[in-house]
Amino acid sequence: MPEIFIDNIRYEFEGKPLVLQFMLDNGLDHPFFCYHPSLSIPANCRQCYVEAGTPVWNRETNDYELNESGDRVIRFFPKLMTACSLEATDGMVIKTHRTSELVKRAHKDTLEFILVNHPLDCPICDQAGECPLQIQTYKYGPEGSRFEHKKVHKPKRIKLGPRVILDAERCINCTRCVRFTEEISKTHQLTIISRGDKNYPAVAPGTEFDDPYSLNTVDICPVGALTSADFRFKARVWEMNQTPGIDVTNGTGCNIDVWTRDNLVLRITPRYNAAVNDHWMPDFGREDIRRMNENRISKPELSLDGDRIKSSWNNAEITLWEKLKEFSPSEMLFAGSAFSSVEDNFVLKKHAKRIGAEKVYFTPFIKQGSGDGFLIDEDQYPNTQGCRLLGLKELSPADFKAKVSDSAVKLLVMLEDDLIGRGVLNTADLEGKFVVYMGSNHNATSAAATLVVPIANSVEQSCSFVNVKGRIQRTTAAKETIYTNRKLNLEMSVGRLDRYGTKFDNWVTDRNRIDCIPAWEYLERVAAQDDANFGYVSTRAIMAEIASTNARFTGVDYDRLDEEPGIPLISAEEVKTA
Amino acid sequence: MAIDWRNYKPLLIPGIPNLHKIEVFEKNGGYEQLKKTLKSLTPEAVVNEVKAANIRGRGGAGFNAGLKWSFMPKPDGGPRYIAANGDESEPGTFKDRKIFEYNPHLFIEGAIIAGFAMHITAVYVYIRGEYKSWIDMMQKAIDDAYAKGYLGKNILGSGFDLDMYVHSGAGAYICGEESSLMESLEGKRGYPRVKPPFPAQKGLWGRPTTINNIETLANVPLVIKNGADWYKSIGAPTHPGPVLYGISGHVNRPGVYEYPTGMSIMELINDVCGGMRGGKKVKAVIPGGSSTPPLRGDQLEGVCMDADSLRTAGSMMGTAGMIVMDEDTDMVDALWRISHFYHHESCGQCTPCRDGTGFLEKTLIKIRDGEGEMRDLDLLLDLCTQMEGRTICALADAAAWPVRYTVTRFREDFEKRVKNTVFALA
Repeated sequence: MPEIFIDNIRYEFEGKPLVLQFMLDNGLDHPFFCYHPSLSIPANCRQCYVEAGTPVWNRETNDYELNESGDRVIRFFPKLMTACSLEATDGMVIKTHRTSELVKRAHKDTLEFILVNHPLDCPICDQAGECPLQIQTYKYGPEGSRFEHKKVHKPKRIKLGPRVILDAERCINCTRCVRFTEEISKTHQLTIISRGDKNYPAVAPGTEFDDPYSLNTVDICPVGALTSADFRFKARVWEMNQTPGIDVTNGTGCNIDVWTRDNLVLRITPRYNAAVNDHWMPDFGREDIRRMNENRISKPELSLDGDRIKSSWNNAEITLWEKLKEFSPSEMLFAGSAFSSVEDNFVLKKHAKRIGAEKVYFTPFIKQGSGDGFLIDEDQYPNTQGCRLLGLKELSPADFKAKVSDSAVKLLVMLEDDLIGRGVLNTADLEGKFVVYMGSNHNATSAAATLVVPIANSVEQSCSFVNVKGRIQRTTAAKETIYTNRKLNLEMSVGRLDRYGTKFDNWVTDRNRIDCIPAWEYLERVAAQDDANFGYVSTRAIMAEIASTNARFTGVDYDRLDEEPGIPLISAEEVKTA
Repeated sequence: MAIDWRNYKPLLIPGIPNLHKIEVFEKNGGYEQLKKTLKSLTPEAVVNEVKAANIRGRGGAGFNAGLKWSFMPKPDGGPRYIAANGDESEPGTFKDRKIFEYNPHLFIEGAIIAGFAMHITAVYVYIRGEYKSWIDMMQKAIDDAYAKGYLGKNILGSGFDLDMYVHSGAGAYICGEESSLMESLEGKRGYPRVKPPFPAQKGLWGRPTTINNIETLANVPLVIKNGADWYKSIGAPTHPGPVLYGISGHVNRPGVYEYPTGMSIMELINDVCGGMRGGKKVKAVIPGGSSTPPLRGDQLEGVCMDADSLRTAGSMMGTAGMIVMDEDTDMVDALWRISHFYHHESCGQCTPCRDGTGFLEKTLIKIRDGEGEMRDLDLLLDLCTQMEGRTICALADAAAWPVRYTVTRFREDFEKRVKNTVFALA
């Protein structure tokens, strides 16, 4: 196998890796700015310098040429090489800042130049704390600057588009954002204008940066030049907790990180998953923070003689239990939801079966022609595939409406799905029926329901979703509800302040906690009224039961979901052959 | 080395009236070499002849043109290009415009022969946008060549097709760098490309491309006419051929002169250009455009304008655009002006050049304005070290060399200035 020597340590490699990526893959820290694994390589920041050499091949002996002490003779390139654009070759020798004074000096030199016209306003910059420039300057930069002149001034606070704001002075011209719009989103909306130290990214006159993926440029910006109009000045990075999750605004199921502070989701950023979304996600997925924070249903609600009153959990459980007794199974209709998780739908189905209702119905939410072939799918809900695989009965919106509006139906139990808001039903369809709506946000459907049960959403519990390609992925609780506790739930992430703050301070407050429980837990409590306890303590246990009873979910469990970047469910053919 | 330059008859811009008109050009043996090439030579023979003649690129790097041609891969049926570089934006360089003005057909003929030798489908003539009238002249010459059947489909019945287009730049120095010239031709921002891949493998639109200077291509018909041995007998043996010296500065008769390579610098100043203005002494000579290291007046004895001699003296041939400065010149000011140019023209792609050129200029302004300190001189040299060889293209080198060599070779001027600083207390 070909070998490469980095700082006198031998590594083996396959194929033609680039030296920088190879070093990063092997856990060797190396400074860089413009390089991004998913973009083309411009080698323009000149930060990732290494000394590189190749062994001299002796054609006569057909072996490497050796010196007196028996070592290979290495011919070094006359100039320092940028590791990002350098392809590894067999026998190559690389010297980084760890072994070469020249490289160490070069890293310092480039950082000095980058900082010459950088405003150094870290104390008021949003990027501080997660800024590659800041981090690498501390690690590799010069101790001070020899620049005693006026810095170049460029425009600040430019609104490039509805979601992205540019501070041109902070820009280090790595061109990541420009390359993103050229190579990934292919809108070609950004370019670098002007020349030399006066240049900065901009949009064409009269246009705006309204790329549906525009906020990804904020993520890949290695400085604070591009900031999100929404998140700007909201929080410092170290105040927030970063928790892995899944984007539930779309069938693609982009992997995300949920950033919370005091139980409010402040921003959502994409999390790398080569099989689903690479490093990217669409902008509307990030705007989902409003749904997570605002307009939440807290405490069960009940319509009584035309009045909407807050109720207790006990009452909510008893009410549904009584209604299930009152009507015969043929008068009931259970509606699952492609918006809810696999576990919630499974428990609802199990519950319906226990009562004797023959089927659980659902209707997918597909906007024809809204997909772009990249990360935006026509399917507006995250779990359509999961509902199908669980054996829920799929109905077209018209059939679903007909089914619900049938006067024989007296009791309707619905999982979170704003059927009125999305135009499948209207209020008249629900008149005269007892409607139980389990949802996390107030909407038209919850307003029309008789009993509203507040349930935890995808960032308040661990739950899993099956995306349009049949890949199951799971979320982790990122924010607390009234009934959960960050310190007791070992899965919930620990923030930097939790970890590094003084132990006399409590960095997390109890504010903004919602009075809600997961839908499966509510259904379990209702079943418990009949002593028909399902015995679930967590979604982990529910998934274990799904995996053992449903052949399509074979092999799925939460431990695997943590280890792997989602699990592609086995196909129907594989089930047959197995 | 003694060169009989007084009896030299110009070949590139001979003094024939109206030579830019195609009829006059044809009457004086024009396009004969093209006919000869198409009729009796194979492409390989042309490449070998040009390689043997050792035409060293006139754009500054001085690379053997024939050798460059031989790097082109074998034709695969797809398009292949020549980009003729007429961007000449280097301060002190103004030679190609003489070819555009007085002998455009010689260049066109050379480009067609080069196109034949490398199986080219199209030649792009990239001319700097400021040369508006020369662009028009060039376009007229190309139109005439098309009308006469020297360009277009089936040239002179040989079955060889070639198109030629004029492309005007938008006034950026960096677009004279070969890879950013290609970017500019493709309609993109003029950012130099990372090499490898080299243009011969992946050039314009990802196809094999050769970039040659206008003057280099104008030399090709001469080689075809008289052979490589004849060509090599002109001027300096390692750097042969006629060359257009663009001489500017404090001389009595500045201008573009065609002479063989290897001319003594002092002869060029005293005999060709009629001596120094006002009989003053030479203080400094920049031999080949502003990016080449300047030579002191007392370094010039016996130095000739060819690559080897200039390298020994500590400079470079560059474009042979010579800038002569007399003893009254303020070197601090002169260097600031050069640095200002590179600061203004840095494309901004690579960090060391983008921010280094500005750093250099600002430090030089500080020294110029009498606010400098001795440590600033060391800082300048240090910054040069931080820039040289650290960028994608050679602009950082071009910006750093004049600073490094002006500060070291004219250090007393700089020391005098910083010792008289406004901060000096002792």
